[in-house]
Amino acid sequence: MASIRLENVTKRFKNTTAIDNLNLMVADGEFFCILGPPGAGKTTLLRLIVGLEKPDDGTIVIGDEPVNELHPSMRDISMIFQNLALYPDKSVFDNIAFPLRQQKFQEEEIQRKVTEVAKSLKIDWLMEKLPSQLSGGERQRVAIGRAIVREPKAYLMDEPLSNLDALLRLEMRVALKELQTNLKETFVYVTHDQVEALSMGDRIAVLNNGRLQQVDDPATIYRMPKNMFVATILGNPPMNFLQCALKRKNGGISIEHRGFSLRTDEKLLIEMVKGSIEEGKITLGMRPEDVKIYDARPKEDAVQAEVYVTEPLGNETIVDVKIGDDVIKVLTSSDFSGNPGDPIWITINVRKLHLFHGGSHECIYHASNKSDFKMV
Amino acid sequence: MADIVLDKLVKRFGKQTAVDRLSLEINDRQFIAILGPSGCGKTTTMNMISGLLKPDSGSVIFNGKVMNNIPPGKRGVGFMFQNYAVFTYLNVYDNIAFGLKIRKLPPDEIDREVREVARLLQIHHLLSMMASKLSINDMQKVALARSMITKPQIFLLDEPLSNLDAALRNVMRAELKKIQQELGQTTVYVTHDQVEAMSLADKIAVMNFAVLQQYDTPHNIYNHPKNLFVAHFIGSPTINFMNGVYKNGEFVLEDFNRGTISIGGGSRKNFDKQLKGENVVLGVRPEHMKIGERGGDAGNLRAEVVSFEPLGSKTIVYMHPDANPGVILKSTMDSDYKPKIGEVKSLSFEEKNLYLFDRESTDLVFRFGS
Amino acid sequence: MDQKLYKKVLKLLLIIVVTVLFFFPIYWIVTMAFKPFPEWTAAGGKIYWFPNHPTLDNFRAIFSQKLEMSPISGTAIRPIINSLVVSVIGTCIAMVVGIFAAYGISRYKAGGSLPFMLLQLRMFPPIAIIIPIMIMWAFLHMTDTWYGLSLIYGVVTLPFSVWLMKTFFDDIPHELDEAAIVDGCSNIGAFFKVVMPLAKGGIASTALFVFILNWSDFLIALILTDRKWTTIPVHISKLQSALVGALYGPKAALGLIALIPPVFFGILIQKYLVRGLTFGAIKK
Repeated sequence: MASIRLENVTKRFKNTTAIDNLNLMVADGEFFCILGPPGAGKTTLLRLIVGLEKPDDGTIVIGDEPVNELHPSMRDISMIFQNLALYPDKSVFDNIAFPLRQQKFQEEEIQRKVTEVAKSLKIDWLMEKLPSQLSGGERQRVAIGRAIVREPKAYLMDEPLSNLDALLRLEMRVALKELQTNLKETFVYVTHDQVEALSMGDRIAVLNNGRLQQVDDPATIYRMPKNMFVATILGNPPMNFLQCALKRKNGGISIEHRGFSLRTDEKLLIEMVKGSIEEGKITLGMRPEDVKIYDARPKEDAVQAEVYVTEPLGNETIVDVKIGDDVIKVLTSSDFSGNPGDPIWITINVRKLHLFHGGSHECIYHASNKSDFKMV
Repeated sequence: MADIVLDKLVKRFGKQTAVDRLSLEINDRQFIAILGPSGCGKTTTMNMISGLLKPDSGSVIFNGKVMNNIPPGKRGVGFMFQNYAVFTYLNVYDNIAFGLKIRKLPPDEIDREVREVARLLQIHHLLSMMASKLSINDMQKVALARSMITKPQIFLLDEPLSNLDAALRNVMRAELKKIQQELGQTTVYVTHDQVEAMSLADKIAVMNFAVLQQYDTPHNIYNHPKNLFVAHFIGSPTINFMNGVYKNGEFVLEDFNRGTISIGGGSRKNFDKQLKGENVVLGVRPEHMKIGERGGDAGNLRAEVVSFEPLGSKTIVYMHPDANPGVILKSTMDSDYKPKIGEVKSLSFEEKNLYLFDRESTDLVFRFGS
Repeated sequence: MDQKLYKKVLKLLLIIVVTVLFFFPIYWIVTMAFKPFPEWTAAGGKIYWFPNHPTLDNFRAIFSQKLEMSPISGTAIRPIINSLVVSVIGTCIAMVVGIFAAYGISRYKAGGSLPFMLLQLRMFPPIAIIIPIMIMWAFLHMTDTWYGLSLIYGVVTLPFSVWLMKTFFDDIPHELDEAAIVDGCSNIGAFFKVVMPLAKGGIASTALFVFILNWSDFLIALILTDRKWTTIPVHISKLQSALVGALYGPKAALGLIALIPPVFFGILIQKYLVRGLTFGAIKK
């Protein structure tokens, strides 16, 4: 059991900076997900923690020990690689026993531990087989077995499920989460799949271009993303963004779009906004599930719009709606029956919208139950 | 006018039958998807429509004319493949103009057509850029423009969006659909992604192991799947299947300890005679499988929560029935639903949301509520 | 139908021609080794495709102490032993140095572009450099010694072993080394415990290749050895007599004997050759 800390860590390769002055804290016993697009630096981050790469700047601390100079074999951390890296010429038993043999355990002790781990992963009937004779899911479990048999301080996993088919991925996700709950160990899990991060992580670190964007629990990241990148990375379909203009009008603040405008009291807005309120470009963000569609004008404030295209998914329908020159995606029930070109009305849940700075894309405002916007 | 008729197409590779007597009718201006897992025969079918492969028997017919012996270049089809074939050594303009230059059209006409297509796909500002410097999304638009510009009567696309990341794929899906609706070309779209097929197509042809399983609108395929394969392949999360035995007007569910569902006489006569044996599979989609609510028609079904996915707009709960930990059932609940792992919950669903399948033949016997 | 038959006949013809070309030398050696003196050449007006009166005289000849009026100074026994010694030691040198160098190049990009330049050097025909080498060896008193010859054999085959082993190591995913390190091995431990066992096939085939190169060398052995350490190829070249000319029979006999060790080693390592080619569960 150990916490993991990265302090001001930078890693450069030739002309690119893969990790840029990163600060991170993984708590002891936490299931910590690192989420980001390909090339964000997630694998580099794992390799820095386990010691296969050395940071150019900064310190890596495991438990209370700075480990920069420590060889990977001495850090007591296990890692599951993306392509598993099972030893192809060794049996399942020898694969799992390998790390124990490096630590010079007695053969009987090794026998006992390996059998125990194999039983818990339901692969004890495969002990003599070679990796080439196993199915994808079985190989995965052997890799997990090899990692847990040595009871390390922490477990690192690099997209371990990305090569499995959908059904198997689901089963393994459930199994891994159960495992972590039982072992109560620190797991650092790298993925580019936002569903995995949302369903498995105690906390998620969103990474892009070697920089940490936000670290929070899944619900907070979903409801209060710090910038547009984070807002897009969670949620399917992703958040809609509308370019608007922020203006001061009639004693209040007006957020104006070609198709509609939202008015609110300046006082209410000031309480929540980061930085000062300046007139100018602003991006309005709202999730597809926070917009509703009506055939006829509803009682609440609504915007007139047009159906652009419909995407029926069976259990629900995504309607691409045209407001002014922009198209946004709206989630609605599967009995929606509009056609492209049909006029419709939409209402925005003003308690769930977000405002992002026009230039920096930082989020400056998350709406909440205290918000009060009026559509004009 | 471009309608396509496939008449009992057969294609074999050695001893393996890749496409087994496929018959399909596609009307002018229709967008149809050929959907199935890898190896089901969808790409082979498309290659026969395009002319890259010759069928062993059966015919490919465009507008009433048999095309079997006509080479691909003369069939009037436009292609877009997974691996775009954008010429990286040319700029965007030359890439798009390529097909027209080969046809030796006059330069001012070429110019007009290229700019029109570029405007349609919103890449007119990139015309002078080298293709190698484009983002993947723009490259895909260039590939699309290049295949569209020759105004083929028939458009064939083979998993064109699979190289894009999730966010871009979402955007391009809607754009593709809009473009097809505006241009009106008959389109055949091959994919293994059921979300793409459902959202894009007027009709979907579901294939498995070289055989056509069902050919219908997305709505019908989702709500009236012909067999277990189609029911399971379409819909995310996948449909819940519960094995059961039908006896004396009751379904006894094998995966639950006290799982019996009584069926009223009125419904019973709909399927009493169609059932060949007593072994059945009951299907309920996750959005109809509710946790903890009373008043459903399901008897006393209890399941243990194994895991859950809080997806933001909804939460998917994974459970296994109390008598069979090897089966996983899914329920789609509201986004603020937070179950505890290990908790035992009661499940319920309404009779009208049940699908009844014959376990031996795997066919749909009756769709309650229809 | 004609077209297909014509193609088949052509294919068959091609196969026959290639087969004949390849096996002719072996056929020549095998038949010549057992031919008595009159049948060696067509001087008597007849070509003997097979020995009419097969005999073991040629074998006796190469193992007898003295051959009349020939530059031979002893039996073929010493050359056979010499060849074995220098080829094996030379191969060992090339393999040991080559394996470590190849691993360094494969994993750590050691040497930059040096390895490639090394390969280019080997393109030099040995005959161009053999005199300077002889001078060097003479200066170091290494001519006509087993260590002198073994050393040069190791050196000239080193580029081959480095390059062949590098490609074999490249085929082993470096994640396996890393997994071993994370599992508790030192860097060199990972090499010995994980990578080497997987490269067994590669090592076997490279070793055989290098051995054959050394075993069949004529030029270097000719220049760098005298009486004590002649090898089989040099000894064969000395099998002449002033009376008769080239002693084809004994040459073939010794040649036939010389075929045995490479074939023997090949059969010995056969199972490693096959295993090396079917790597197994490496997910790519």
